Amino acid sequence: MVDPANTPLGKMLLEEITPVVMVLCTPLVEESCLKNGLSFIQMLSPFCNFTNIDVPVRTASDQPYRLQKFKLRLFYASDIRQPNLEVAKERLKQVITQAGEKDFSEMWSDPPQVNDLLSRPESEILPSWFQFFNEELVRTLSFSDHEAFDHPVACLLVVSSRDEEPINRFVDLFNTNKLPSLLNDGAMDPKILKHYLLVHDNQDGASEKATKLLTEMKSTFGPNDCQLLCINSSQDRQIHHQENPWAPFKSDALPTENLGCFLNFDDFNEIKDLMQELSSKHIIPYMEQKIRVLNQQVSATRKGFRNQIKNLWWRKGKEDASDSPNGPVYTFSSVESQIRILGDYAFMLRDYELALSNYRLISTDYKLDKAWKRYAGVQEMMGLTYFLLDQSRKEAEYCMENAFNTYLKLGSAGQQNATRCGLWWVEMLKIRDQIKEAATVYFRICSEDPLHSAVMLEQASFCYLLSKPPMLHKYGFHLVLSGDHYKKCDQVSQSLKYCDNVPNSRSSNILQCFHLQIKHAIRTYRSAVSVYKGTTWSLIKDHVHFHIGQWYAFLGMYDVAVTHMLELLACSHQSKTTQELFLRDFLQIVQKTGKTFEVLKLQLPAINISSLKVIFEDHRTYASAAAASVKESVWHSLEEDMIPSLSTAKSNWLELQSKLMPKKYKESNICVAGEAIKVDVEFKNPLQISISILSVSLICELSANLEEMNSDGNGSNIELQNDENKTSTSTRDIDSSSILSEVDLSLEGGETTLVQLTVTPRVEGILKIVGVKWKLSSSVVGFHNFESNSLNKNVAKGRRKAKYSPDNYLKFIVIKSLPKLEGIIHSLPEKTYVGDLRHLVLELSNRSKFPVKNLKMKISNPRFLNAGNQRELNVEFPACLGKKTNVVQSGGHSNINKVLQNVFLFPENISVQEETSLSWPLWFRAAVPGNISLYVTIYYEMEDVSSIMKYRTLRMHYNLQVLPSLDVSFELSPCPSRLQEFLLRMDVVNKTSSECFQVHQLSSVGKQWEISLLQPVDSILPSQSLFAGQALSCFFKLKDRRKSSTSEDSIPSPSLLLQSDVRLGPQGNSEALFDVYSSPLADFHNSERLHQGMPLQGNEYKVDFVFISQLLKGNIDSGAPNTPLLISHHACHCSLSSMSSISWLVDGPQTVQHNFSGSLCEVNLRMMITNSSDAVASVRISTFDSPSSSIQSSDASAPQPGLPPENQAGWCDIPVVNDMKVITSDALATRFTKSVSLESVSQFIWSGSSSTKLRLQPRSTAEIPLQISVFAPGIYDLSNYVLNWNLMPSSEEEKQGEASKSSGVCQGYPYYLTVVQST
Amino acid sequence: MIVCVAVVGYQNNPLYIQSFTDADDALKLHHIVHCSLDVVDERVNNPKKSGPTLNETFLGLLYPTENYKVYGYLTNTKVKFILVTTDLDVRDADVRNFFKRFHAAYVDAVSNPFHVPGKKITSRTFAERVSTIVKSFGLSSVG
Amino acid sequence: MGREVSESCIDSLLTEMVSTYCNRFYANKPELAARRIEAIGYQVGHQLSERYTMDRPRFSDHLEAIKFICKDFWSELFKKQIDNLKTNHRGTFVLQDNRFRWLTRMSIDQSPENGASEDTSIMADNKAVQSMHLYFPCGIIRGALSNLGIPCAVSADISNLPACSFVVRIKA
Repeated sequence: MVDPANTPLGKMLLEEITPVVMVLCTPLVEESCLKNGLSFIQMLSPFCNFTNIDVPVRTASDQPYRLQKFKLRLFYASDIRQPNLEVAKERLKQVITQAGEKDFSEMWSDPPQVNDLLSRPESEILPSWFQFFNEELVRTLSFSDHEAFDHPVACLLVVSSRDEEPINRFVDLFNTNKLPSLLNDGAMDPKILKHYLLVHDNQDGASEKATKLLTEMKSTFGPNDCQLLCINSSQDRQIHHQENPWAPFKSDALPTENLGCFLNFDDFNEIKDLMQELSSKHIIPYMEQKIRVLNQQVSATRKGFRNQIKNLWWRKGKEDASDSPNGPVYTFSSVESQIRILGDYAFMLRDYELALSNYRLISTDYKLDKAWKRYAGVQEMMGLTYFLLDQSRKEAEYCMENAFNTYLKLGSAGQQNATRCGLWWVEMLKIRDQIKEAATVYFRICSEDPLHSAVMLEQASFCYLLSKPPMLHKYGFHLVLSGDHYKKCDQVSQSLKYCDNVPNSRSSNILQCFHLQIKHAIRTYRSAVSVYKGTTWSLIKDHVHFHIGQWYAFLGMYDVAVTHMLELLACSHQSKTTQELFLRDFLQIVQKTGKTFEVLKLQLPAINISSLKVIFEDHRTYASAAAASVKESVWHSLEEDMIPSLSTAKSNWLELQSKLMPKKYKESNICVAGEAIKVDVEFKNPLQISISILSVSLICELSANLEEMNSDGNGSNIELQNDENKTSTSTRDIDSSSILSEVDLSLEGGETTLVQLTVTPRVEGILKIVGVKWKLSSSVVGFHNFESNSLNKNVAKGRRKAKYSPDNYLKFIVIKSLPKLEGIIHSLPEKTYVGDLRHLVLELSNRSKFPVKNLKMKISNPRFLNAGNQRELNVEFPACLGKKTNVVQSGGHSNINKVLQNVFLFPENISVQEETSLSWPLWFRAAVPGNISLYVTIYYEMEDVSSIMKYRTLRMHYNLQVLPSLDVSFELSPCPSRLQEFLLRMDVVNKTSSECFQVHQLSSVGKQWEISLLQPVDSILPSQSLFAGQALSCFFKLKDRRKSSTSEDSIPSPSLLLQSDVRLGPQGNSEALFDVYSSPLADFHNSERLHQGMPLQGNEYKVDFVFISQLLKGNIDSGAPNTPLLISHHACHCSLSSMSSISWLVDGPQTVQHNFSGSLCEVNLRMMITNSSDAVASVRISTFDSPSSSIQSSDASAPQPGLPPENQAGWCDIPVVNDMKVITSDALATRFTKSVSLESVSQFIWSGSSSTKLRLQPRSTAEIPLQISVFAPGIYDLSNYVLNWNLMPSSEEEKQGEASKSSGVCQGYPYYLTVVQST
Repeated sequence: MIVCVAVVGYQNNPLYIQSFTDADDALKLHHIVHCSLDVVDERVNNPKKSGPTLNETFLGLLYPTENYKVYGYLTNTKVKFILVTTDLDVRDADVRNFFKRFHAAYVDAVSNPFHVPGKKITSRTFAERVSTIVKSFGLSSVG
Repeated sequence: MGREVSESCIDSLLTEMVSTYCNRFYANKPELAARRIEAIGYQVGHQLSERYTMDRPRFSDHLEAIKFICKDFWSELFKKQIDNLKTNHRGTFVLQDNRFRWLTRMSIDQSPENGASEDTSIMADNKAVQSMHLYFPCGIIRGALSNLGIPCAVSADISNLPACSFVVRIKA
């Protein structure tokens, strides 16, 4: 522990608690002093402080010790009285206010952060004026009567040598009526040590007269109490003292005036010696002497057991008498005050033990007397003494607390003392590192005077900051509290100013004088900000910022105010009313500034930067926003084989650009002058109240020179950006270089809206989109820079290539304007039914000055959309589909070819001239149900080769919803009676909810098919219309006419004309059948086939059907309202269900008459086998009725006509057969009976070879004779044979992947033969 | 009556703070809670002054302000519960009981998989539960 | 208030989760799957520790917290305590569970001698799968400890099933 005397408190005490010398001097003395710009006391005071006076002193108990440090306090007699409280307060206020001004002036920098605040030493953290303030505060209550250390110890009487009869002057200087009240009202002893000083001004002449006077004084007042002081020795020239000793004692000294200018070195020493002698020779010995005397008296009356008892008894006795509020009055002669004086003197002479003992003694007395103020004062001194003795801290603190509380108990009377006591206590705690406790004491010091408590609270806050570990939360809290108090005392002063409008001495500015302390308030709040910064205690944070803003606004410093108000804007957590309040005040303050604020990253509204999306058109142009939002890869794949250089090398469009255009364009995006770049930004309103934002627009830099690109000297860009801002803030700016679109929108609470902004460059150069800006009000402009945000998520959104640096992302090279086609497909339905067939018109318009040529078009989905040819442009629909006699397949085929390589080439002669438009027919058919998106790309080239881009593409994107309409299914089954003829079953179900379709026609595609109704539709469907949910199934006969031509056929085809269409409408219906062979039906049909992955000409055993119906009055938009919608359904590759490529027919008599009495009956049948496949087929017919090897042998020798030569294998069996021939007859009988016994059926046996093998050429038919022998009349089923067949697959079948099975086993068809007994 | 309860995360970030007064003194209560954090830290750092048993979650009376009593509770996961009441005579048992139930409610709230740890607790059920607990506290302290 | 769930449900949920993350979401990115699973475990542990430390005095040091994990936390989860706890006194703890419940259902081919390459490969990917299953408990431990204010890294080691040891390295 350091020596307590060296601690701040110790120093303070040694300053404050020192002997007081009362000075009485004549005006002439003052006058001569004032020549030096000093009062008499000021002149002396530099010499009143002795660091090393070295005076030997003896304690009451005769311990010698030497006094080193000593100080005298000089006061004019007029000042020795309790200072007036009001004056004191005013002075304090001024102190604070000046401090406030000073701190405020250096507060332009940001308040220091808490962390580096902690890192600094304490001295820097604490405001310097606290110390000063505290001392002032202590001084305000000197010379109170309840404590003695302010009572003058000696009296210095000063008379000038110019005074006439100085001796009398001396006498009447010290006459009682001029003396301070302390001496008169008997609080202290009037007989005090007097010292007589004669001041001679050397400028008045030589000092003989003075010396004469001195001797005279000595004779009258005694020899060693008189002294002569000569000053102003330097008559003519002024002396300039460096480090002027008087400066610190004259606070209001102007630097110009030269203090003590007439005091030369001799005067200097003379004054010094004077004071030295005064204190060492007179005052200290006097005090020492007095201590002895008092000590003896006290010990005589009070020490010792008996005295104690007596004293107690006596006090008890007079206790009832005294019930005045602060105890009885004690005159100087009373033993109590003597003890007190003794204690104080001892204290001042550093004899602390003595002081302490006396204080102890007296405190009990005061306590008993309920003289609380004195008691508290004594307790206070005890505490200090304990402290200076540096023993038993607890005692010290206890005493201080005791004193403090006692003072507080006294109410307002003790308030000041309580404060002083508290300050000393605090100092004590600080020295003992009990800083937190110090803070609490500061807190308790707070009185009702707001200013006072504000300062105390601020000091408390610093205590919390300095405590280890720092208690930042409390620091912040107390800062805020003190700020509030500072503010409050402004209100108080305001009211004061109102009630008595005393113009403020310091500043006439009314606003200033109302806000004296607001600067302190701002300061404290600002340092509080650093505590709450970065935390989520948003309520507190907002409160702090809000008030700082308001107060700055009071002071008229609107700019700073705005910066603080900005913190409040995004207060989504606040209540609605608060939000309104904040916003309103913010706007008001901004208006007061009278200028427009341009705020970077204004939080209102919030921008969702991830939603940022840039749409620009280089060689890729878009017909609609929908098209622009389609993924690039889709278009890319679509355009691949259309754009020349792409088709050769798989490369993204960039290398293409590098091929086509100079190097420098490679790195950056291209856009065309006069064409808008669209930017989508999402704004969100965080508040609950609705805000309206005006003139949202982009910020762009457009620099003319292209070399800007490589050497990014942004100099020119910047200035250009500036004038861009200037112009763009003005409404609807038409800048020479570019056009910016402006949007006004108002956001409801919590609303989020997507805004599309456009910039249209008009000259070539480099365009850079810097950010977006908007106006929150007329005078608040918010900026948001895109660059500052990470763009990685935008890469996906905007069409970026990963190789771009983010810098390039929003950088565009503007090239000179190019032709641009705009396209639209007229009357493309949003919503339609499956099979809907329409005739649409594509219109391409060229707004630019230059024509374009070499148009190509590619359609993503040929099943849905097909290009027609020009002559179809304005045909009427659907009549154009009608069968025409003169129709040639060329139209259809030409289209087919074009569709084949998927790119539709417009004829070479077609070119879109400037300001004209081209219309082109399109055929549309809704192929499948569902949500379909169609992509159409149109490629075109510029006529003028000078331009950087050689070609552009127009991209169109349409979404349509296709509803299921009719469900058409076909089933094909062979008719058992005829070859080459099939039974076709068509099932139609109306899947729609409300529509009514009218069946119109069914056509089979492919020449060889002839289709005919089995029964007229009227019988099935009287009204040829199919209502919602209704199903229709009708049967047709399908005949393969090509077959009938190849194989000679018994039944001739009834009609030779081609019958591939069947009208399902009413018979009398005159409207023409539609031609399924001409485009567009043919095209769509082909694409259907293509879709199913079949070659255009499949094998003929698969049939395609086109079913056409009409939707009379649909509730969906049709291209032309009056005409019915045409619905066409295409069913491809309908093949015979379980149709093997081998078919046969057993032919023969149905009934035979025979007389069984004679012989058994032999019936000849024949089987016709047809190989309908393209492969050679080998067929084996094996008949079985029993293990009947014998039967075959009966006429095995019968040669098989048409038997393929390689079937010689049959021959080798014969010898074996012949051997067996013998046994056949009886074996027959036996087996016959057995057969009867076994099975009742098959009264017949197959005769002839039981297994016949034959080989069928592709597409050939062979006939095999069969014979059975019947033994009894009856009805026989001749189905008990098996046909084994398999195809020798030929090579082309292999690769064709023939679907039908290549081998099989077929049971025979039932064939009933009736044999009757003939008589 | 209880005027304010608060949950403060381990980074001294407010997770939930609710005042139960009609007066508009939310700001003051925020300040009080905010300051009490210092006392909590103090209690934890030198536990000799802390509650009856060492490292007990219940920290007891943190500090009496002019007209409030502030009680503290520190969980194992460094989450602080603060209770500000105007009652002059509060039975320790009541406060302990209150904090126990409050803690349970908190645990259930943060066990919600959709609650992001360290973010403010916005669950409505939690708020309701807390208010019921607060009401019952009044009752129990009466009895 | 502590609701209970059937063990088998938890087991199958765990296996499902692991397989889903490894085979569906992050197939062929195993480390990513591992991180996700570990993160899930982290959240679970974070919340469970909140609950299980409810009525107990605060831990004065790391060892207490680890012991809590070994005893109460573990028995809350697995109805048994950690069998063996080792530490070098420099912030590394080894928690060994001789019969880790979530591995007991796991098939282990007990053929100690398998020179055949495909056997070893089978063993290898068995190990891989098992370690996948261990990211979840690792995450749980890490989440619990970090919620208790102990940032750490947890790794697991399955030398011989069903025994399993978790290594906790506390970040200094």
